[in-house]
Amino acid sequence: MSPADRVAHTNRWRRRSLVEKAVLALGMLVLAVALPPFPASPVIAVVMAAAALIGAAVPFRLWLACATAPAGFLLVGAFSLAFQWDGGGFSLAQNGLHLAAGLAARSLAGVCCLLFLALTTPTSDLLNGLRRAGLPAELAEIALLMYRFLFLLAEVAAAMDAAQAARLGHVGVGRRLRSLGLLIANLLPRALDRARRLEIGLAARGWTGELRVLSPKAAPSLPVLAAIGAMEGGVLLLGVLV
Amino acid sequence: MTALLEAKSLHHAYPGGVPALQGLDLSIAQGRKLAILGANGAGKTTLLLHLNGSLRPSAGDILLDGQPVSYGRAALAAWRRRIGLVLQEADDQLFAASVAEDVSFGPLNLGLSEEEAAERVAEALEALRIGDLADRATHMLSFGQKKRAAIAGAVAMRPEILLLDEPSAGLDSHSTVHLLSVLNKLAAAGTTLVFTTHDVDLAYGFADDIALFDQGRVLAQGRAETILSDDALLKQARLKPPFILELGLQARRLGLLADADPLPRSRAEALELLEALKA
Repeated sequence: MSPADRVAHTNRWRRRSLVEKAVLALGMLVLAVALPPFPASPVIAVVMAAAALIGAAVPFRLWLACATAPAGFLLVGAFSLAFQWDGGGFSLAQNGLHLAAGLAARSLAGVCCLLFLALTTPTSDLLNGLRRAGLPAELAEIALLMYRFLFLLAEVAAAMDAAQAARLGHVGVGRRLRSLGLLIANLLPRALDRARRLEIGLAARGWTGELRVLSPKAAPSLPVLAAIGAMEGGVLLLGVLV
Repeated sequence: MTALLEAKSLHHAYPGGVPALQGLDLSIAQGRKLAILGANGAGKTTLLLHLNGSLRPSAGDILLDGQPVSYGRAALAAWRRRIGLVLQEADDQLFAASVAEDVSFGPLNLGLSEEEAAERVAEALEALRIGDLADRATHMLSFGQKKRAAIAGAVAMRPEILLLDEPSAGLDSHSTVHLLSVLNKLAAAGTTLVFTTHDVDLAYGFADDIALFDQGRVLAQGRAETILSDDALLKQARLKPPFILELGLQARRLGLLADADPLPRSRAEALELLEALKA
């Protein structure tokens, strides 16, 4: 499993109610998008980073590693806003720096919101939440099974890859490509085989088409929700008044 | 005594005509621990899949309480309510995000309320001694833990018969000992156990009865020490007698152990025998 997934399962706020985490992350996200970027966005970014790093005790290195890729996109986007091509060369766009800084701040705040949710809440919790919120059960079940299969297939693929490498299947670009093709081609029948056995296993436990399990439902605490609401209200006031 | 579950001249061929079962007879008596013992590739898994209706025989019958089973939806559900199956690969069975969620799947399918299901989950995790793993993600478990979680999923349905496909395969000796003691506890509580294995020592140390399996047929079924002391039978099934049994039989032949005395069944008993001989 990926480090991000592991921390989602083991962080300090793993057992906190999904509603609390979602209201915090999505509420802040809406504010980041809706309010003028200054001063709201930097505040939101700091609050959400602190929530993940201090509140949920997500390791800083992991948080940074997960933030790097979106931050890269963000920089490229901001750069292209800040400068313009005027035939002969680059020049500072009119109002460009201001626009770029606003975009960067806003996106950074959004990234912090989503990272918080992704690193404190396992995928399965999110899907269960969506199911309770009205996503059709079939969709949620298929997504959950896909999530589970992802890990199984990744394991098989890694083993096959190692086996290929051990027999010099990765020497040279051509052979490497050929090995990759073989691996992918072999993964499909294995996945189907696995699915068939899973079906036998499920049927043995009385499966009739619905994957119902007892999922833990941590009740949201009203004081916590109130605190989150107050915090978001504060950011809203800050954004509107300043 | 009538058998709880019986197979009569079962035949089964996989697509492509590869025969897996060729006229197999088997009888499962209530409250016993039965080992289906045979070399790899003898068709043991195929047999287990027949015993809970996952596969249909091309010829032959399966009798539950002496009655031929039917394969309708309701009949299959009633059948699987009584007979649990644990696959060899735990990963083929664990589908839910956490151990407790996965174990709750069977009880909920039985139509139990959420409270009852939660009780069953706690009971099953307790029986397998993995209560501390309840909230662990299924893909974060070790091999042995996955195995126990998969068994808990079947145990939570309180089956009369628990079918286990190679329960000790891939487990280290410590985990095997742990698993066997858990299974013994289930057996003592009244669950009939049927498991496949190619390990003669395990079969001898753990099972009451043995069905010797080869080439899609049961060569012989009977008490463990009777079957395992028949060299010709074992040879036919491409197996060797268990060492502890050989030791006991040799002690008898040499006049060191009276015919009336029990043969050692485990390493501990064999060592005790040596102690007793010296004294």
